[in-house]
Order: sequence, then C-alpha cells, then structure tokens
Amino acid sequence: MIELENVSYTYPHTVQTALHDLSFSLPQGKCILVTGPSGAGKTTLCLAAAGILHHEYGGKKEGTVTVEGKNVASYAGLSDLAQKIGIVFDDPEAQMIFTTVEEEILSALEHRGLEASVIEDRLASIMQVTHLSELRNRSPHKLSGGQKQRVALAATLVLGNDILILDEPTSELDEHATGRIVSILNTLKAQGKTILLIEHKFSHFKEIVDTIVVMENGKIRAAGIPAELLKDERLRKIVIPDFSGIRALKPVYKSSSPAPVIPVDPLISVQDLSYSYGDINAINGLNLAIRPGEFIAIVGENGSGKTTLVKHFNGLLTPTEGNVYIAGKNTRQCTITNLARDVGLVFQNPDHMFFADTVREEVEFGLKNIGIHNGDSVIEKALEEVGLSHTKDLYPRWLSRGERQRLAIACVIAMKPPAIVLDEPTTGLDGNEARLVMEILKTLQQTGHTIILITHNREIAQYCADRVIMMEKGRIISDSARGAC
Amino acid sequence: MAEILAYVYKDGFFHRLHPVTKILFILIVGLMSILSTNLGFLALLVLSILIISCYANLGSEVLHQFRLIVIMSMILIGITIITMPSGEILGYLIPNGFPVIGGSLPVTTGAVEFGLVLTLRFMILICAFQLFVISTQPRDIVHTMERLKIPVDYTLMFLVALRFIPTLQIEGTRIHEAQLARGYNPGTGLIGKLRSVAPVVIPLVSNALSRATVLGLTIDIRGYRTGKRTRLREFIFHARDFCVLLVLATISCTYTFLALEHIL
Repeated sequence: MIELENVSYTYPHTVQTALHDLSFSLPQGKCILVTGPSGAGKTTLCLAAAGILHHEYGGKKEGTVTVEGKNVASYAGLSDLAQKIGIVFDDPEAQMIFTTVEEEILSALEHRGLEASVIEDRLASIMQVTHLSELRNRSPHKLSGGQKQRVALAATLVLGNDILILDEPTSELDEHATGRIVSILNTLKAQGKTILLIEHKFSHFKEIVDTIVVMENGKIRAAGIPAELLKDERLRKIVIPDFSGIRALKPVYKSSSPAPVIPVDPLISVQDLSYSYGDINAINGLNLAIRPGEFIAIVGENGSGKTTLVKHFNGLLTPTEGNVYIAGKNTRQCTITNLARDVGLVFQNPDHMFFADTVREEVEFGLKNIGIHNGDSVIEKALEEVGLSHTKDLYPRWLSRGERQRLAIACVIAMKPPAIVLDEPTTGLDGNEARLVMEILKTLQQTGHTIILITHNREIAQYCADRVIMMEKGRIISDSARGAC
Repeated sequence: MAEILAYVYKDGFFHRLHPVTKILFILIVGLMSILSTNLGFLALLVLSILIISCYANLGSEVLHQFRLIVIMSMILIGITIITMPSGEILGYLIPNGFPVIGGSLPVTTGAVEFGLVLTLRFMILICAFQLFVISTQPRDIVHTMERLKIPVDYTLMFLVALRFIPTLQIEGTRIHEAQLARGYNPGTGLIGKLRSVAPVVIPLVSNALSRATVLGLTIDIRGYRTGKRTRLREFIFHARDFCVLLVLATISCTYTFLALEHIL
C-alpha cells in the first residue's frame, strides 16, 4: 500500500538530515508500529508516507514514495491523497477547527461526496464507538487532552480510509480509552485496513502489531516482527519501558536511619476539598495527607479531577469549599509566588513555559522570581541532575521532546521546592527516555523531595511509586502503599 | 472561562436566522454606524443591539464582552481628547493648580463628541459582529461565504482567524498559569500586563505558529479546497428572515431619508 524507497529529507533552513536513506514497505492489511527516541524522525516519516512532505514542504527530498502503486507526486494534492490516507497528527489541539465536536467530525465527512443519510449513519456510529455522544455539542477547545485526542481520531476514522497513519494517537488517553482505541483499530485491521502507527505503548497494541520499526537519528535502526526484534535487550528497552527496580532505590533519609521515621505533620493536607468549573463538579469533598519524602502516583481516567486537585497545591485554583494546607499554611492566605517556593509544578506540555533564549536563562527565570540572583552554581547543578549540562547555551525549543521535558524538571528543581508535582511527565517519550525521567525523580526523592506524579501509565504506578492514589469523578476511590520490587 | 467570539450552542431567534440575513444585518447596521455622526442615533443602535441580544437569548454573552468594550472605549475617548482638541474647553485633564504642567491637555466639546461617536461606532460594529459569530456555526459561515462566491483562500483565512481566537485565549491562560507556578509575579494592572508580555506572549506565539502548519494541513486534508460538499443542512429563508430583512430595509430607507434631509 505504501512504499518508501531510499527516502532522504532535510527540512528547509536546516543542515541535519531528518530522514536518511530510508526504505520500507507497508503491505495491505498490516499494522506497523514505529517507535524510537524523540527527534528520531518518526513524525517526519509519517509526513513522508502521507505525501505531505512532497506536496506541502520545501527542503531537500530524495527517493520515492508510492501510495497504492502510484508515486505521491502524481496525486493532485493533499485532498486527493486524503481519499486514500487518513492521518491523525500528534497534537490533537492543532486539529480542532470548529466549535462543536459534532461539527468537527462532520466537517471531514461533508467533502467526500457521500449521501446525507450515509453521513448521518457514519456520524452516529463513530460517536458511539469513540464514546463521544455525550460531548456532541461541547466545544473541542474546552475538552481535556484525552477527549481532544478521541475527537481527532473520530474525525479521521469516520472517513473510512483504507490506510491510516496515526502519530501517537493515544498519548494523552487513559488505560480504558486506549483499550477502546486498540479495539477499534483491531476491528479496522480485520476489515483489511492498513495502519502505520507511531506509539510508545507497545504493550497495549501488541495484539495488532505485525512489525516494529525502531528509528534513531533519521534512520531505521531495526525492523522485524515483535517476537524476534524484542529478543535484542537494547531494542526491547526502547520499545517497552522498563521501570523495574526504580522503587527499590531507598530514599537517602530512610537509608540513613535504621528505623524509618515518618514525620507526623503532612507536607500537604487537603481537607474536604470541593471544586467546581461552573456547573461541573470536578472535586467532591476530597481528603488527603501527603507526608514529606513520599513518591506518590495519582492515577485515574481522563476528567477524574487529577489535574484540578494538584492545581490547588500551588494556589492556581482556590477551593470552592474546604481547605488545602501546604507546610501548615492555608493556600487561601498565600500568594502563588509564595507557594511556588514549596510546591513546583511541571505541566504536561513543557512548551507552555519556555520563552528564554537559552536553556540556562530558562532555568534562571524561576530563580530570579524567588529572589536568587546569583544562581550560577544552582543552575549548573540542576542541569547536571537532568543530564542537560551540554545544552545550556542552546535555544530551549531546539531540544527534543524528551530533553524539553527534562528541562522543565530542571527549571523546577533549581528552585528547590520541597514538593514537586508532575503532570504526565513521560508523555511522548520512548522507553529509555521515560526510564531516565523516572530515575531523575527517584534521585530527587532520595535527596528529600516529595514527588507527586499524575500518570496514566500503570507500570510507573506499579514500579516507581511508593503510594498510588486512584481518582474517579473527583473522589479518591483507593489509596494504597506499594512494597519495594 | 467564557470563550471570546466562539459559537454558543443555544436555540434562539438569532440562531434560527439564515446566515445571509445575519450578514446583511451586520452590513446595514455597520454602514449606518459608519455614515452617521448623530450621537442619539448611534446610542439607539447600541441599545437596539443589546435588546436584540437579550431577545435572542445571547444577552449574557454579549454583555460579558461589553465590559471589555467599555474599557477600550474609555481609552479611545482619552486618546481623542488628547489628540483632537476643538470647540469649547470644558476643563483640563491636568488641573490648573498642578505645578508647571497644570492647565495642559484641555478637554474640549469637539473632542468629547468625536470620541463618543467613535466609541459608539466601535460598540455597534463589535457587538453586531459578535452576535453573528456566536450564533452561527463556523461551518455554516464557511458554506455561506462559498455560496456568496468569496474566494476559498479568503474564506479559509477567516475560518482560521476565528478558530484561533478561543485557542489563543485558552492557551494564554495555561501559559500564564505555568509561569505563575514558577513564582512569576508580574503584578497587577497595566504595569503587570506589560511585564507579563515576554513570558506569556513568546510561548503563545511560538506554539500558535507551530500549530498553524498542522491546522492548515488538517483543513486541506478534510477537503475544504475541493469545493464539493454534501449539504446536510440546507438553509432556506423563512418568514422570520423576511421580517428581519423588511425591518432592516425600513430602517435603512428611513435613515437615508433623514440623512438626506440633514436630520441625522
């Protein structure tokens, strides 16, 4: 269905080759999973396979790409290619054009020359299988990341294309939603659809993947059927994150004491917290105590209130009812600037915070905000802790996704807050990068920080956290301690 | 947080009108506001739009933005007073008793009158446009513009511009929160807003630019340039549209007559 032959590509105004002499074929009815570190060229590969590089991008191109036996150059343009290929990009927000979910999905269907009755049937069907019926009249811009991802997927799947190119379609989805997408793709594959999938969640997709392609530095590092390829230990660690043993690393303050003493006073105390966004109750009467030095994973489905809860820890949200105490101080009586000294928050998308010209200045910004003006040694140490010392003079946005995520962590740890909250810090990272981030967080815990992690990744909760809090509909439904692995 | 200039899912009088009727409403109301300098007439137009908004079940949305419009109007009047003094002096922005610069920046009748005219025009144009945008799905706006034979590039540019307003608003809030979480305290008021420009605007623009490429590709892939479309919802002119058009025609004829007679 899709053939790439000796494809090389260099983006305009750059010298580094994004794709280097790349050849592979995607046969009909097969599913190929492409993975690899951030910056390896996975998204560029998607753009090449979809003919987008040829029709919409400048730069230096070599080699040939054929879709259904026809060179992409002979297609009239993207609209023509879109009759064959459905593509979901990695940023769901960028694919939301309209103002209701229904309109978003219809906008793709209306230009296909289909009968009105067929369009209505397809709309009803996709709404049902992607569980979007309840969101039909909601504005896509107001949905959570996971919900937006489902809308972007629905708007592509509803077209019924024979070839699907999906660039990290489930990165922001919880376990259940990912399971539903896998089930949909399984059905589509059984119908003979061809799927090119960029993903870091092999364990979820293993039932449908025929071939794994591992990319590194714009080249195919390895390709083969999963059973064979995963025998190579190095490749296995890229494809399947290995978090084993991380929790077994004991915190410094515990190992130095023969009998671990857990301080009585909690660092964070949440008492009868309720919070509403207009008519929607996001948190309902929640109670929680977090002690210093804990490593906590907060898990739960999209929209269960995880992010809303942690935004109360640094005063970004003020409780509708109840109180939140940080180191004994009521957040209602503190400014966000003051709370930033106690609680550091790393957002899911690191690009929301970067604005400085260099990595060094980016870290320095937070320090200056809390009154530290000669923080050279602190900056050096923070960058060293996350393995980014070599990038200190680079423009932050030039870094790979994994490096940007680590820079976001460096920006927070330089300020030395006792508690560090991270919202999905491993989104979009391959196995090695995800493990590296978790090791950094474990090291921070060893030096006395309290780590609070929001994650959909059950392996992280299972292998890294000391305590797992599960949320549902704004309440804690389970709170359990974990033993060392 | 209410989104600025985003479609509001409601069932109201204005929602049920044909998009062409609404476009004619904007054109006629806008044209009258630009041609007229009569304060009473302009104030009547503002009042009429607010009444229509309430009748169309969109009063809260229009009034919500009205606060911002009033602030901008005050700035507009201030600029006019400073830059266009004419007529009788009513007083001074800097009182006479003030040392050295006292008695400068006079507030004149001509400047106040002209400032009010500009302000009312500004209110009419913004509110009428807002009423149109929040009551018409973007898909219907695009299709109506196609029907009116507006080139597809202009239509898509308009669509992208409309789409980016709520995105920038929401993204700006997220970036602001991210910087606050890093201990950033730009302060309040105008100085605070100015200080927060770099940490908020730079990521906002960078993220918007990186998204613009994917957005453009998505529009192309969904076939908006092909021009062919299955019409799921065919808009037809109902009695209410003819009534609105009749009222608009009557008002514009009356306005033309009064303008020719130099009454307005």
